[in-house]
Amino acid sequence: MTGFFLSQIQGLDPLTSDEVLVAQNVFFALIALVMILAALKMVTTENIVHAALYLVIVLAGAAGMFILLGAEFVAVTQILVYIGAIIVLFLFGIMLTKGSFGTEEGELRERNRMAVLVAVLIVAVTSGSFIDSFRDAELNRQAPSTTADIGDSIFGQFIIPFEAISVLLLAALIGSVVIARRDQ
Amino acid sequence: MSTNLLIVAFERPAIDWHAVAPEIVLLSVGVLITLLDILFLEKARPYMAALSGLGILATAIPLLTLGIDGTERVLFDGAYVVDNFSLVLKAIFLLAGYVVILLSTNYIVDGDYWESEYYGLLLASLMGMIMMASSRDLISVFVALELLSIPAYLMVAWRKRDPKSNEAGLKYYLMGVFASAVMLYGMSLLFGVSGTTVLSEIADSIDAGNGSSSVMTLGIVFVVAGFAFKVSAVPFHTWAPDVYEGAPTPVTAFLSVASKAAGFVALLALIFVGFYELSNIWEPLIWILAALSMTVGNLVALRQTNIVRLMAYSGVAQTGFMIAPLAVAGHSLSTGNQALSAIVTYLAIYAAMNLGAFAVIITLARRTGSAEIDSFSGAFHFAPGLTVAMTIFLFSLAGIPPLGGWFAKFEVFRVLATSGETWGYLLAVVAAINSVIALFYYATIARKMWADDPSEKDLNNIEVTPSLVSALAICVLVTLLFGIFPQLVARFTEVSLLAFGV
Amino acid sequence: MLLNQFLILSAVLFSIGVYGVLTRRNGVMVLMSIELILNSVNINLVAFAAFREAIPGEVFALFVIAVAAAEVGVGLAMVLLLYRNRRNIDLAGIDSMKG
Repeated sequence: MTGFFLSQIQGLDPLTSDEVLVAQNVFFALIALVMILAALKMVTTENIVHAALYLVIVLAGAAGMFILLGAEFVAVTQILVYIGAIIVLFLFGIMLTKGSFGTEEGELRERNRMAVLVAVLIVAVTSGSFIDSFRDAELNRQAPSTTADIGDSIFGQFIIPFEAISVLLLAALIGSVVIARRDQ
Repeated sequence: MSTNLLIVAFERPAIDWHAVAPEIVLLSVGVLITLLDILFLEKARPYMAALSGLGILATAIPLLTLGIDGTERVLFDGAYVVDNFSLVLKAIFLLAGYVVILLSTNYIVDGDYWESEYYGLLLASLMGMIMMASSRDLISVFVALELLSIPAYLMVAWRKRDPKSNEAGLKYYLMGVFASAVMLYGMSLLFGVSGTTVLSEIADSIDAGNGSSSVMTLGIVFVVAGFAFKVSAVPFHTWAPDVYEGAPTPVTAFLSVASKAAGFVALLALIFVGFYELSNIWEPLIWILAALSMTVGNLVALRQTNIVRLMAYSGVAQTGFMIAPLAVAGHSLSTGNQALSAIVTYLAIYAAMNLGAFAVIITLARRTGSAEIDSFSGAFHFAPGLTVAMTIFLFSLAGIPPLGGWFAKFEVFRVLATSGETWGYLLAVVAAINSVIALFYYATIARKMWADDPSEKDLNNIEVTPSLVSALAICVLVTLLFGIFPQLVARFTEVSLLAFGV
Repeated sequence: MLLNQFLILSAVLFSIGVYGVLTRRNGVMVLMSIELILNSVNINLVAFAAFREAIPGEVFALFVIAVAAAEVGVGLAMVLLLYRNRRNIDLAGIDSMKG
C-alpha cells in the first residue's frame, strides 16, 4: 500500500521499482520497532489500561504489516475486529472489574528470570531455524490479493469451518451471557 | 491503477450432503433448542434434556446409513473426509455425549442451573468433536478444536455461585487458550513450510523434501505440545485435577472422555495423515509424553483422597497408555495401522468405563454430599448395585480380564511388543510397572466400598434415577461386551488412515 | 523484502507474549499476552501466504481473528464472574484447590 502511494506520486511501477522497495523496507523497520517496543511495554507495565493501549499499537502495527504483505482484507479485518471490537471488550472488562484497576503486585523475581530465559530461548531457536531454512528468500513482489479470491476460498474450500465458526460465535455469545449476568 | 471491474464467477462448491448429514442434524437440534428456549422460556426447560438426547439419537441415523454405505467420501480436496476412522470416532463421541446428557439430567435440575443453555453448549461442543473426526486440514482442525473447547470452558464455570467452579473455569480457559495459541504458532509454521493447509498435501510436500527443514520440526513440536494439553499428558496436565474437581461432575465426565478423545483424534489425523514420514521427530516426543504421563499420573494418584482428583490423575495415566502405541507407530506401515486400531479401541473402551465410573461417583456423591473417598466407605451396605458397577469399572480401568479395559491394555502391549524396537520394549516395561501401581489404588477404592463400615447413618438404599440407571446400563454393557467378545470391537476399530503405499 | 524479516518479528512478538503469560498474575493481562501470540501467528500466516502465494494463509488468519474475538468475549465473562464472587482477579489468589 505504501508502495502504491509512492508509485502514484512519482509514477513508479509498484512491482518493479527500487524506490518502492526501499520505502517498504523503511516502513517495515519503523513499524516493527514500534511494535516490539509497545509489546515490551505492554507485558511490563503496571497499569492495565496502559497495557490495553500498548496492545492497540501492536495490533495497528500488525495491520500495517499485513498491508505491506499485500493482504489488505486481513488488514481491514484486523482493524475492525481487533482494534474496534476486541480492545473495546478489554477496556470494558477492565472498567467492570475496577478492583484490579491500577497496579498489580506479587510479581516474583525468580519467576521473572525464568520467563526471560524461556523467552530468549524461544526467539533464539525459532529465529535460528527461520534463518537456517529460509535464508534470504525474497517475497515475490505481486499485486495485493483480491478480496474476491479470499471470498471464493472461504465459501468454497473452507465452507465447513466457516459455518462452524458461526456456531462457535453463537455458543460463545449465549454462554458468556449466562456466565456474566447477575443471578437474582 | 485503473478501476477494473472484477467479475469473478463464484463456483458453488460440490458438497456431498450425505457425508455432512450428521453435522447438519446435530446443528438443527442445537438451533431448535435455542429457539424453543427463546419462545417458551421456562415452560420448555423440563423437556430440554430429553430433546437433546433424542437429537443425538437422530444424529446417529445418518451415521448409520453412512456406515452401511461404506464408501470413503472425500470433500474439498481432502480437507474433510468421511471414512471408517471418522465414523467410528463420531459414534464414540455421540455415545459419550448421550451418556453425559443422561448424567446431567438431574444434576443440572437440582442445582437450578441454566438448563437450556447448558444443553445447547453441550451440543455445540459435541458438534466440534463430530467435525474434528472428519477434519483433515489445519483450518478445520483448529476451528473444530475451538468449537469443542469454548463451550467446555463455559460449562466448567457453570456452577456460578461456587468459587471453585469459577476458578476451574478461568484456569481451564486461560491454559486452554494459551495452549491453542502455541498450537496455532506451530500450525502457521507447518503451513509455511508446505504452503498448504490440507494434511495430505503437507504429507506430499514432506515427500518432496520439505521435511528436513528445521522449521517443520519446530512446527511439529509446537502442535504436539498443544494437543498434549488437550489430552492432559504430562507435563501439560496441571490443569486437569483442579478443573475436574471444580467443574460440575457431569462436565468433568464429558471432559475426561469426549474432550480427551477429540484431542486424540486430531493428534492421530495430524500424525498419520500429515507428517507420518517424519517419525524420527514425533516418536521421541510421544515416547516421553507416554512414559511421563503413566508414571507421574499413577504416582500422584496414589496419594489422592478426593475421588474426582484421583480420577483426574488416573485419567492422566490412562492417557499415557493410550498414547504409547504412537511412540512406535512410525516403525512400519503395518505397525502404524496396528497402533491406530489399538488407540481407537482404547478410546472406545475407556469412554465406557470412565463414564460409568463417573456415573457411580455422581450418584454416590449426591447421597454422601462429598467426593472424598472415605465417604464412599461401606457403600455396599446402602448401594449394593452401584458398588458392583463401580467395581466392574475400576477393575476394567485397572485392566483385569475379562473386562473391556483388559483388552484395551492388551492391544497396547501387543503393539509395543511386536514393533521390534528397543524403545517399544522399554515403554512396554514402563507400562507393565504402571499397571501394577494403578491396580493398587483402584483396588483400594473397591475394598473400601465393599469391606469398610459405612460412615453414613442412613442405611436405606440409594434411590437411583432412571436416567442414571440407563447411563450405568450402557456403560456396564459396553465394558463387559468388549471384554468378553473382543473380536467385536476389533472389527469396528479396524480402521486405517495410512492410505499411501498399502 | 525478505520473508525472514517478518518471521523474526513474529518470533519476537511470540516470545514477548509467552513472557507475559508466564509472568503476569492478572487474568486480563494474561489474556492480552495471549492476544500478542495470536498476532504473531497471524503475521506468520500472512507472510507465508505472500511467500507461497497461497490464499489459505490469509483465510487462516481471518479465522484466527474471528476465534480470538469469541475467546476474548468468553474470557471477560469469566473474569467478570470471578470478580463478582471474589472482588479481584489476581491469579495468585486462585489456589483453593490443592493436591
